[in-house]
Amino acid sequence: MDFKKLLRRNETALIIAIVLLSVIIGAKSPEFYSLANLFDIFRSSFVQLLFALGVLVVIISGGIDVSFPVVGIFSGYSAVVLMKHFDWNPGNVSLPIALAIVIGVILGALNSIAIASFGIPTLIATLGTSGIFRGIMLTFIGSSFISDIPAALDKFATADLLKIQPAEGTLARLHVLIIPVVIITILVSLMLNRTMFGRSVYALGGGVEATRRLGISIKRTQAKVYMFVGGISGLAGILYVSLQRKANPYDLYGSELDIIAAVVLGGASIMGGYGTVFGTVLGVLLISLIKGNLILLGVSGSWQRAAIGALLLIGITVQAINESKKAKNRRVSTSDEVAG
Amino acid sequence: MSTLLTAEYGVENIVKSFGGAKALSGVSLSVKSGEVHCIAGENGSGKSTLIKIMSGVHAPDTGLIRLGDKSFTKLSPREAVHEGVQVIFQDFSLLPNLSVAENIAIPTYISENSRFFSKSKTKEIAANALDLIGVDIDINASVTDISIASKQLIAIARATNQGVKMLFMDEPTTALTRKEIKHLFEVVEQLKERGVATIFVSHKIDEIQEICNTITILRNGEVVADGIMRDFKRDSISEAMTGLNVSETRIAPPLKKASTKVIEVRNLITKPTFLDISFSIAPGEILGITGLLGSGRTELAEAIFGQYPIDSGEVIVEGESIRLNSSPAALKAGIGYVPPDRLTQGLFLEQSILRNLVAVGVDQYQSRGKRLSKKRLAEAGEKWIKDLRIKTKNSLNPVTSLSGGNQQRVVLAKWLAMNPKLMILNGPTVGVDIGSKREILEIIRDRAQEGMGFLVVSDDIPELIQICHRVLVIKNGQISKEFNESELDEEVLYKELS
Amino acid sequence: MNERFNKINSGLLADRKVTQLMVITAGTFAIFSLVSRDIFFSSANFTSMAYQIPEIAILSIAVMLSMLTGGIDLSIVAISNAAALVAAWIMTTKMGESETLSYSWIIIACVVGTLVGLAAGAVNSIIIARLDVTPILATLATGTLFNGIAIGITDGVSVSGLPENFMRVGNGTFLGIPTPFVLMVVIALAVGYFINRTTLGLKVFLVGTNRKAAQYSVMGDRKVIAWIYLISALLSSLAGLIIASRTSAASPDFGSSYILLAIVVVVLGGINPNGGFGTITGVILATAVLQMVSSGFNALRFSQFFYLAAQGAVLVFVMILNVVLERRRVSRSISKSLRS
Ligand SMILES: Nc1ncnc2c1ncn2[C@@H]1O[C@H](COP(=O)(O)OP(=O)(O)OP(=O)(O)O)[C@@H](O)[C@H]1O
Ligand SMILES: [Mg+2]
Repeated sequence: MDFKKLLRRNETALIIAIVLLSVIIGAKSPEFYSLANLFDIFRSSFVQLLFALGVLVVIISGGIDVSFPVVGIFSGYSAVVLMKHFDWNPGNVSLPIALAIVIGVILGALNSIAIASFGIPTLIATLGTSGIFRGIMLTFIGSSFISDIPAALDKFATADLLKIQPAEGTLARLHVLIIPVVIITILVSLMLNRTMFGRSVYALGGGVEATRRLGISIKRTQAKVYMFVGGISGLAGILYVSLQRKANPYDLYGSELDIIAAVVLGGASIMGGYGTVFGTVLGVLLISLIKGNLILLGVSGSWQRAAIGALLLIGITVQAINESKKAKNRRVSTSDEVAG
Repeated sequence: MSTLLTAEYGVENIVKSFGGAKALSGVSLSVKSGEVHCIAGENGSGKSTLIKIMSGVHAPDTGLIRLGDKSFTKLSPREAVHEGVQVIFQDFSLLPNLSVAENIAIPTYISENSRFFSKSKTKEIAANALDLIGVDIDINASVTDISIASKQLIAIARATNQGVKMLFMDEPTTALTRKEIKHLFEVVEQLKERGVATIFVSHKIDEIQEICNTITILRNGEVVADGIMRDFKRDSISEAMTGLNVSETRIAPPLKKASTKVIEVRNLITKPTFLDISFSIAPGEILGITGLLGSGRTELAEAIFGQYPIDSGEVIVEGESIRLNSSPAALKAGIGYVPPDRLTQGLFLEQSILRNLVAVGVDQYQSRGKRLSKKRLAEAGEKWIKDLRIKTKNSLNPVTSLSGGNQQRVVLAKWLAMNPKLMILNGPTVGVDIGSKREILEIIRDRAQEGMGFLVVSDDIPELIQICHRVLVIKNGQISKEFNESELDEEVLYKELS
Repeated sequence: MNERFNKINSGLLADRKVTQLMVITAGTFAIFSLVSRDIFFSSANFTSMAYQIPEIAILSIAVMLSMLTGGIDLSIVAISNAAALVAAWIMTTKMGESETLSYSWIIIACVVGTLVGLAAGAVNSIIIARLDVTPILATLATGTLFNGIAIGITDGVSVSGLPENFMRVGNGTFLGIPTPFVLMVVIALAVGYFINRTTLGLKVFLVGTNRKAAQYSVMGDRKVIAWIYLISALLSSLAGLIIASRTSAASPDFGSSYILLAIVVVVLGGINPNGGFGTITGVILATAVLQMVSSGFNALRFSQFFYLAAQGAVLVFVMILNVVLERRRVSRSISKSLRS
C-alpha cells in the first residue's frame, strides 16, 4: 500500500494521537510509563471495547443504538438477580455469562422488531426501548444495589493472567479477560470481513435500496445486527458487574457517548458503510487513555466529560472537512445517475 | 442445461401505480431462454417499472410473474435472485462504499448461497467477469472514484455472472462508446448461446434491431405492439412508441434575428469534466445539448447554475459577467434550472402543490415585516395552475397526487414564476406521458417566442430535433460538433453521439 | 378521481392528527380523573401541572423545530443548563449575602445566560449547516462538550439560593395564571407565527421535506438550518431560566431525562422524525398528555421508573402505529385505484 494512503487513514491519525498523548502525559508524570498503568488501561478498556464492537456493527449498518448500556446493565443485573433468587452458585462464570448473553439477545430482538419489522428510525426506536428496559428493570427486577454477587463472578474480578512485580513501583496485574477479549475482537473482525453477513452489513450501510436489489434481506440483516449488539452488550454488562464486584442497576446509564465517541473516532461513519475493528480498538484505547490519565496531566477529573466531548467534536469536524474536500476533488457528478 | 432451454419467463396482466399515477396498466409479455427480447418505449412509458416488478424490486398492484416453472404474485428481490434473475439497473445500483471487486462479486456469493467471503475469490470473480466483457478497470478502486462509463460496465459485469438465467438490461448502453457497445453485444450473443433469457431495454432503434429477436412496445404503461423483430420496420417501431407520425412533429418557432445574447459562456474549464467549453444563446433561442451519460452534459448545466464547480471561465448574462460557483448569483442574474430528476431534486413530494409552486421565490411572497402573505401565495398558485393547465382540484393537495406530466409542470412553473432570462431544462420531459410532453414542449416554444432563452439538456434526440434551433454534442468534456437547424437529423445525431 | 386525495391533503391530515390528540388528551384526563378522584382531580394537582408543563413544552418545541428540518437537537438540555448556570452564577455573585437582587441585574443575568446559550447554538449551526455533520452526532458531541464544560467549571455542584424576586417568575402567577404557563403560551404563539406566517418558516418545512430540492430551489437551505439551531438554543435557554427560577437552582446535571421526554412528546405530537410535517398545537397537547400521565402515576404511587418505561412504550407504540396506519393507507389507495 502506498505511503500517502496510509498516512491519510484514520487509524494512522489515531496512532499518532495516542503516541503524542502518551509522550505528553509521560513527560508530565513519568509514573505513566509503568506496566501497571498499561495493564490498568487494558482493564478499563475490556468492557468498553466489547460495547464498542457492538456499536461498530450497528454504525456500519447505517443505524445507531443508544440502548446498549441499558441492555448491558439490564442483562448483568438480571443475571445476578436470577442467580441469587434461585440460589445458583456455580464454580465458574460460564452460567452467568450465558444468562446475560441470552437476556441481551432477547432485548436486542425487541429492538430488531421495532427497527427491522416496522422500520422505525434507529435513534428513536432505541431511545424508546432504552426507556422501557430501564424502567422495567428498576420497577420490576430491582432497584437496589447488590454487593454480594455470586462467588464465581466475584472471584473472576481478580483472576489475573500475569502478575509482574517490577523492581520498584506497584504490582502489575494483567487480567485474564485479555485473552477472550482479544479472541472476540478477532472474531468480530472476521465476521465483518470474511462472512457474507459482515459484507451485508457494510452493503446495508452503503445503500438500503441497492442492497435489497442484490437479494440481501434487509430485515434479516438488521434483525441479526441488533441481536448481535444485544448479545455482546449482555456479555459486556455481566463482565462489568464482575469486574466491579457489585451489581448496581443505576450503572452504565449515560455511558453511551463514550462508546459512540470511541467508534466514531475510530473512523466509523455515522452515515453507515465505513468502519474497522482496528480503528475501534484504537478509539477505545484513546478514550480510556484520556479518561484514566487526565489527572496525570494536571487536569481535574471533573473535566473528563468536556475532554471527551471536545475530542469527539474535533474528530467529526476533521472527518467532515476531509469528506467535503474529497467530494470536491472527486467531481464525478452523481446527478446523472439518479434518473430511472 | 435442458431445463434452461425450455424455461420461460414473463408477466401477466401487471398493474402498478405510484401515488395517483398509473405506471403500468395490464402488461403481459414473455421470453424464452436463449432469446433476446426488447422492451421499447419513450421516456416514462414504464419500461424500468416493468423490469423492477419482474425482478422483485417493486410489488405489482395485481398480476402474475412467471420465472421458469414458478409463478409469483409477490416476489422479493431475494427470491428473484435465487431463480437466477440478474438486473443491470438503469441507475446501476452499485454500493459506493465497497470496492469494484466486491460490487461485481457479491451477486455470485448470493446465488451460491455462501456464508463466507474470501478476498482472493472475490478478486478472481471480478477479474473474470471484467475479462468476459473485455474491459480493464482497477478492481481495487472504490466505486466513488470511477467514471460513469466504468460504473455502467461494472453493473454489466456484475449481472452477467455464472448463475444468471434471466438477465434484464435496462438501457445498458447510455454511457458507452460504440466500441464498448459492440463488445457488450458479443457478450449478449454468448449468453444467448448459454441459454440465458435476456430482456433488453432501450429507445435506440438501431441497437434494438441489431440485438433482439422479439419485441414489446410500451406506451403510457400499455403494450401497444409486440411480435417478432423481423416484422417491425424502423418507422413502425417509432410510430408505435410515440403514437405519432414522426415527420410532422417539429415545433421550434422561427428564430428572430437578434444582435444581443442572453448568455455567453466562455472557456469554461473544470478538470476533468469539461475542458474549454464556449457557446452562446440568443433571446428566444432554444439550444439543445446532448451527449452520453457521463459526457459532462448534466455537469455543464449545473455548472452554469452554480451547482457544479467551475475552475475557470466566464459566464455572461446580458452583457454582465456573473459570479461563478454560486446559485444565488445565477438566480439573481436570471438563470433558472429544472433538474433531471423531479422526484428527488425537483419536488417536495409530500408537500402541497401550492408550496411546491412557490418554492423558488418564497421571499417574493412576503409583505412588510417578513410576514408571509397567504393571499398572494394563493393567487400565485391559482395563476400557475391555470397557465400551465395543471390538472388538480385543489392546490393544497400533495404534489404526489399528480401524474408525472403534471408534476413536471409544477417544477417548470416554479421556475417560470421567476421569469428567468435563461431557462436551463435538464431532461424536461423524462417520465411524462405523450400528451403532457407535447404540451410541455409547447410551453417552451411559447416562452421562447416571448424572448426567453432556453438550454435544453437531453438524451432524447427526437425531442431535441422537435424543439431546438441548434444542438451541441458533448464528448469527453468538449463540444464535438454543432448542428444547425437545417442539419438536425436523428440518424446523424446518433452517429455523432457514440 | 382527485377527490380521494382531498382527504389526504397535508392541511387536513395535520388537522386530523390534532383532533386525534385532543381525543387522547381528553381520554387520558378522564381516566386519571376517574381512578384518582381526590389526588389527580384536584386543583392542587392542576396548578402543579401548570407549573411543570411549560419547561418541557418549550424544550419540546425546540426539538420540534430541528425535527421539522429533518434533524434533531440532542444538546437542548446541556444548553438549557448552561444558560441557567451562567445566569445563576451572575445572580448569586451579585447578590452576596442578601436575599434579593435588583431587577436590572436579574435581567442582565438572564440576558447573559441566554447569550451564552445562543453562542452554544451558533456552534451547532456552524457544525451542522456549514460543515454538514449529521445533526445526531453533532449535537451529541456539542451537548457533551457543553455539559462537560459546565461540570468542569462547577465541579458538578449546583448553584442554589437564587434571589427571591427571580424565583417569583417561576412560581408566581400572572392574572391568576401561573407565570411559566403564560410564558409558554407566548412562546408557542411566537413559534407558531414563525413557522406558519413567515417565509423562513415555510422554508423550514420545504428544507425538511427534501433538502436536495431545496438546494436546487436556491432557498438558502444552510441558512434555514443555521437559524433553526439558533432558535432551538434560544428556546432551550429560556426553558433553562424558567427551570432555575422555579427550582431556585441551576445544575449541570439537571433534567438529563428530558431528552427522551422531549422526543416522546414531539413524536406523540405528530411531528414526522424525517422532517417536513408537524404542528405546534400537537406538541402542546402531547406535553399535556405526558404531564397528566406523570402526575397520574404519581397520584397512583407508581415509581418514577414506571413512568420512564411508559415514556419509552409511548414512543415506540406511536411510531409503530404510524407505520401500520401508513401501510394501511397505501394498500387501501391501491385497491381503490384498481376499482376505479
Ligand atoms: N418510485 C416512483 N415513484 C413515483 N413514480 C414513479 C416511480 N418510479 C417511476 N415512476 C413513474 O412511473 C412512470 C414510468 O416510469 P419508468 O421509470 O418505468 O419509465 P421508463 O420507461 O423506464 O423511462 P426512461 O426511458 O426514462 O427510463 C413515470 O411516469 C415515472 O415518473
Ligand atoms: Mg427507465
